[in-house]
Amino acid sequence: MLNLNLPTLASSIVKSGATTMATTTTQQCYVHPVVLFSVLDHYLRRNDNQERVIGTLLGVRSDDGRVIEIRSCFAVPHFETEDQVEVDMEHHRSMFALHKRASAREQIVGWYATGSKLSKYAALIQDFYSREAAPFSAVHLVMDTDLTDGQLSIKCLQGSPIGAGAHPENCMFLPLPYELQYPDAELTALQAAADSKESEEGYAVLISDMEQLEKSIEELKAMLERVTAYVQGVCKGSEKPNNVIGKYLMDMLAVVPKIDSKQFSTLFQTHLQDILMVAYLTNLTRAQLNIADQLQRIV
Amino acid sequence: MSGETKNAKPMTTLLNEETAQLATFDVSRIPKQLLPVLDVEKTVALTKVRVDPLAVLKIVKHARESHPTSVNGQLLGLEINGVLEVTHAFPVPTQLGSEEDMTNYQIEMIQCLREVNVDSSSVGWYQSTRLGDFMGQPLLDVQASYQASPNAASSVVLIHDTTKSEQGGNLSLRAFRLSAAYLDLVKKGEFGTKDLAARGLTFANILEELPVQVEGSSLAKALVAELQWPATGNGAADQLLAQELQRPSSFNAKLRARRLADRSAVADDVADDDVAGVPGLGAEGLLPVRSVGFLGRPVAALGLEQADVSLARQLESMGELIDEHVHDANQWMYWKRGEAKVRNARAQFVERRKDQDEVPEKELDAMFRPLPEPSRLDALLNTANLSLLTKAVTQSRGPAMTKMYMAQALQQDN
Repeated sequence: MLNLNLPTLASSIVKSGATTMATTTTQQCYVHPVVLFSVLDHYLRRNDNQERVIGTLLGVRSDDGRVIEIRSCFAVPHFETEDQVEVDMEHHRSMFALHKRASAREQIVGWYATGSKLSKYAALIQDFYSREAAPFSAVHLVMDTDLTDGQLSIKCLQGSPIGAGAHPENCMFLPLPYELQYPDAELTALQAAADSKESEEGYAVLISDMEQLEKSIEELKAMLERVTAYVQGVCKGSEKPNNVIGKYLMDMLAVVPKIDSKQFSTLFQTHLQDILMVAYLTNLTRAQLNIADQLQRIV
Repeated sequence: MSGETKNAKPMTTLLNEETAQLATFDVSRIPKQLLPVLDVEKTVALTKVRVDPLAVLKIVKHARESHPTSVNGQLLGLEINGVLEVTHAFPVPTQLGSEEDMTNYQIEMIQCLREVNVDSSSVGWYQSTRLGDFMGQPLLDVQASYQASPNAASSVVLIHDTTKSEQGGNLSLRAFRLSAAYLDLVKKGEFGTKDLAARGLTFANILEELPVQVEGSSLAKALVAELQWPATGNGAADQLLAQELQRPSSFNAKLRARRLADRSAVADDVADDDVAGVPGLGAEGLLPVRSVGFLGRPVAALGLEQADVSLARQLESMGELIDEHVHDANQWMYWKRGEAKVRNARAQFVERRKDQDEVPEKELDAMFRPLPEPSRLDALLNTANLSLLTKAVTQSRGPAMTKMYMAQALQQDN
């Protein structure tokens, strides 16, 4: 258990050089969506009377430490009172060791917390994580789980020492630009989550590829209709013209590849034949398997 | 502590009180909605699997990072009223040495997670696959051991196919359990043709598939909404679109960018630079009635090209499986012929010795040892894989055709 006490003024004057200065500052941050979901899950599973939760962020850094990719995270129990905060170090260490075994590349890159504003112990915890993430600086991710302004307002911050003497509690949090990462496979998972949000029952049933494609086409159609209506509106003068949108639409139209119709029909035919051939072969195989199965029962 | 010791009663009285309470315990007094929770004997059959987006994302991430190696991990959650809720998942390292290491790792991890109030009961495991032919002896064995353990009897295995998810643009996550027929045969350890026929076990019913649903907490839904519509606030519609076009971190913008990615760099530039700070876009007409309209489904759902690569691979592995199938069939025929030979010889022997004393069955058996039938399990699994693969190919052809005709329509309009 790590006990971090808010030092009294007198003692902090005596103490100095407690903060490990980070050699390189982080400049860009990429966040994986799983991290955000983990934080929310942790917040939902917090103990009674606990206002905020904190945890360790894991990820990888570029060699120079400027770019950081937050890939996963885990929860760390902690306990706050008026004048002191306790972080369960043992839990943090053992969880990190366990994570290390499954995904060796991920390092400690920082920590997360929930809440609409920074806790008064943020600087102290930041100091602790800076030491964990040394020689690089630690990143602090905040999610507003109170939904002030109806938003989760995810923020990435980095600590920057202020004042003449380096004290752990002298720390200013500066915003860090971040981007969310959506690998293709995750997009499909998020799509399912989005579908669950839309459905009335509150859950999404996984559907077949064909149904998914149908939905895609329907949405595409709806988009086309909206754009057509807009363009017609502009032509009639009922909508305000907008250069940006016009430019955008022109680019969209320009990306439709122009293929000679003869060439296209050859391509189309051969491709179609391939597909039909494959379908025929697989169906044949399936029929064979079924026959074999039925025969086995007779034997 | 001192308060407790004061109130403490001798152990025996406590025990007696407990039994007295148990005796007066009336089952009918339990509220109806609590009955499923107390269903200790597992009388309610498992009907579906409900997975939290968090667990889905963890599985997807693990599978993607170690793609194409097949990986697995543990699922945590709760079973209630026939619905298996999977709320958490964690990866199990692939390079772990002994069985003991593996178990220790899982126990430690579960203990750590319990400290932060994560559901600590194991409800199964997950495995990633590449082409959909995941059926194999190890998978069946592991699942059998899960289903055999008393406190995790309703375990499932979730199969995630990264390639299929990426290319089809549709999450490929399936939940399976071993069928009762298969478990029976495992118990007996017999996999002859007759046993299979008697229990009605075919390649199609070794595993039972359960429907999978995805459901997140309300907060998670809020997060998804925010990812779809980053920084919407209560701004005007055009502000929305400007941000939408400009912020690359949004789901939607990401999808849009990918849609254009390799075709037009110009379009991306527009999205990134020009839109910034343009006042009064007047974009109301472009905004959808419902927000979902703007979130395109993953673009790959409309892509044509990639599918061919995996198709070739699928066909290759299909060829291999068919070869194996033929090999299995030949082996079986070989055994059948051998067996017939022995039986013939035995019949002839009996015929010849008709006039003399009858030879006891036992001696006959000793002289003409009947060949034991080779286990049909391998052949069965092979067939099951082949069936899975062909089914996947057949199913992928529908969308492929549709996409082709869409492309054709586009070209004709030109």
